[in-house]
Amino acid sequence: MRSLLYGGDIDRAAKARARVGLAIVVFAAVYFVIAVRLVTFAMVSDGRTAHRVVGGDAIATARPDILDRNGEVLATDVRVPSLYAEPRRLIDVDEAVELLTADLPDIDATELRDRLSSKRGFVWLKRDVTPEQQREIYHQGLPGIGFLPENKRDYPNGAEVSHLIGHVNIDNQGIAGMEKWLDGHGLAALHMAGLATDRLQNPVQLAVDLRVQHALRDELVAARAKFKALAAAGIVLDVRTGEVVAMVSEPDYDPNNPREALDPTRINRLTTGVYEMGSTFKAFTVAMALDSGRFTLKSSFDAHGPMHVGRFQIHDFEPENRMLTIPEIFTYSSNIGAARTALAIGVDAHKAFLKKLGQLDRLRTELPESAEPIIPKHWGDLNTITIAFGHGLSVAPLQALMGVAALVNGGLLIPPTFLKRTQEEARALAKRVIKPETSEMMRYLMRLNVEKGTARKADIPGYYIGGKTGTADKVINGHYSKASVLTDFMAVLPADQPRYLLLIMLDDPKVLPETHGFKTSGWNAVPVGGAVVARIAPLLGIQPRMDLPDADHLILASLKESR
Amino acid sequence: MILRVVNFVVIGVLVLAAAYVYRIKFDSTVQAERLTKIRSELRHERDTIASLRAEWGELDSPARIEMLTKRYLPLKPIAPTQFDTFNQLPDRPPQLVKPGSSDPIGSIIENLEEPAAPTGSIADSAEPVAAPSPPPAEEAGVAETERPAVKSGRLDR
Repeated sequence: MRSLLYGGDIDRAAKARARVGLAIVVFAAVYFVIAVRLVTFAMVSDGRTAHRVVGGDAIATARPDILDRNGEVLATDVRVPSLYAEPRRLIDVDEAVELLTADLPDIDATELRDRLSSKRGFVWLKRDVTPEQQREIYHQGLPGIGFLPENKRDYPNGAEVSHLIGHVNIDNQGIAGMEKWLDGHGLAALHMAGLATDRLQNPVQLAVDLRVQHALRDELVAARAKFKALAAAGIVLDVRTGEVVAMVSEPDYDPNNPREALDPTRINRLTTGVYEMGSTFKAFTVAMALDSGRFTLKSSFDAHGPMHVGRFQIHDFEPENRMLTIPEIFTYSSNIGAARTALAIGVDAHKAFLKKLGQLDRLRTELPESAEPIIPKHWGDLNTITIAFGHGLSVAPLQALMGVAALVNGGLLIPPTFLKRTQEEARALAKRVIKPETSEMMRYLMRLNVEKGTARKADIPGYYIGGKTGTADKVINGHYSKASVLTDFMAVLPADQPRYLLLIMLDDPKVLPETHGFKTSGWNAVPVGGAVVARIAPLLGIQPRMDLPDADHLILASLKESR
Repeated sequence: MILRVVNFVVIGVLVLAAAYVYRIKFDSTVQAERLTKIRSELRHERDTIASLRAEWGELDSPARIEMLTKRYLPLKPIAPTQFDTFNQLPDRPPQLVKPGSSDPIGSIIENLEEPAAPTGSIADSAEPVAAPSPPPAEEAGVAETERPAVKSGRLDR
């Protein structure tokens, strides 16, 4: 080879050809290397820059928007600049502290100095800077100080939907309400993978109707102020789908300021609290008696008082001291009557019936907050007697509402939900707990109670409301207190073709001059319920019907026809 | 000789190809820059939309609307008695203006002069139009101001 290129004895022409050939090979190799490098650059570098853009895009991850059932925004992400520093690149810490405190009056100067003096590569200085502040700081031209856009959760409606949607922490992670539920359903995994940075996630639509929610909250705030109650709470439940159309527990908090949520008086009483619901539980007792087939609306029970059980005495609020029929027990709200009704059915059957209606198990919804009902350890005759009129068993109000919804909607127990649900989906989840005829009778009784019984103040003309009142003595230091009560009212709307069930609950309402010294449900929770119905019924698309016959003719008559 | 011509042609083609490749490369750089710019604009627009939506949500919140209504409007909540059904509606009043009429106001006045007046509510609302027809002498000024109003009404059609 070497002799071919340099040897003196080789033919000149052959030598020249060999040299040219070598040059061709060398150049071809060089160009091949260049071509390969070009191709690899073209392919690799592209991917690398795209990745960098995504990585620097956002620190606090994006969350899907939360909408109400009509598409109104309940929670959304907005992009806000956050101020950070790279202490190693800072030249003059004193100057930086001086300039930054001038622009950010609410920042702590000593803490700022500590952070800037540290030897770390990256420190946050302030989250959520206003655009004006950003401009000022930007124009100071400090080295090592910069901004990163971050997602911040914004709740345009403030306190209106607080307990329902919950709130997020500073890193945009859900820590309460539906926000936490979102995290539990795949969003957290997306965050870990660093994929939840764009805004293109599908919004989540809830069952709540913002207008109804506002009307309910407005009335409850007014009621709480009027009756000087510790708390006021309310739910509107769609009895056909189990959707929670509105839920308010006043006092509530502003999710934009989550610190308020730490105050223990601001808990969500409807799912987190358990209460003795009082006479509304008589609805369960009566439904149980009617559903057993052993009693009809004509059956009567002895209501001579007081009733002696062991060393206890059961009194009626307004004693009748005679035999009462089931409709009379319901409308006079007779404790003795309800107790005798439950005893006639028996302790085990009573327990089984309440179990079937979901009153003895912890109710789980999408909301992470839930509470276990407080059930007597040894359930004897006395327990059945007191539970028959709503004392001695504490349940979450939403749970009791679910049970009553099953009593009026034709007998189907549908677990409540905060997400949108169609009737078909609800029917697939539903469980039959009582006969349709029993449900019809319950609607008749509830309507009768508004026409003639304890809930007369809720008889808003045109809406055919049915309802059951409840007043429970509150347990204070282990004893039932005569001084403070919990009143509630459950209203079915309209009573002949139920669509919605409303719960109003007032914690410790006070006596007012216009309530004539009474503080039972009929004087506070019931008128509030009536006012709420008058406001929300048009929003829910329920048309007022005037000149409807009374319950005896409308509901009871149709019941007899169907037999 | 032929070889030399081929040589020149090949050199020419080479130069052209190089120029062409350069152009493609330049174009692709421009496009890539445009893409980056549009992407960042898109992101900015999305952020703006999000903050505008949040702002709209705040402005549109029922609490705020109710507060404004209470302060500035005489509106009151609807009572159940104020709803009614369609079959309770009264019959449609007779048509005052024939559909193809070229002089609608003229035909309204014609209809009004007939003794068979339509329903009371229509007559009430038609009164301002009928008023200028018998203008008393001392109120000529009023009639004059009203006549142009009628004319402008006709022009609007």
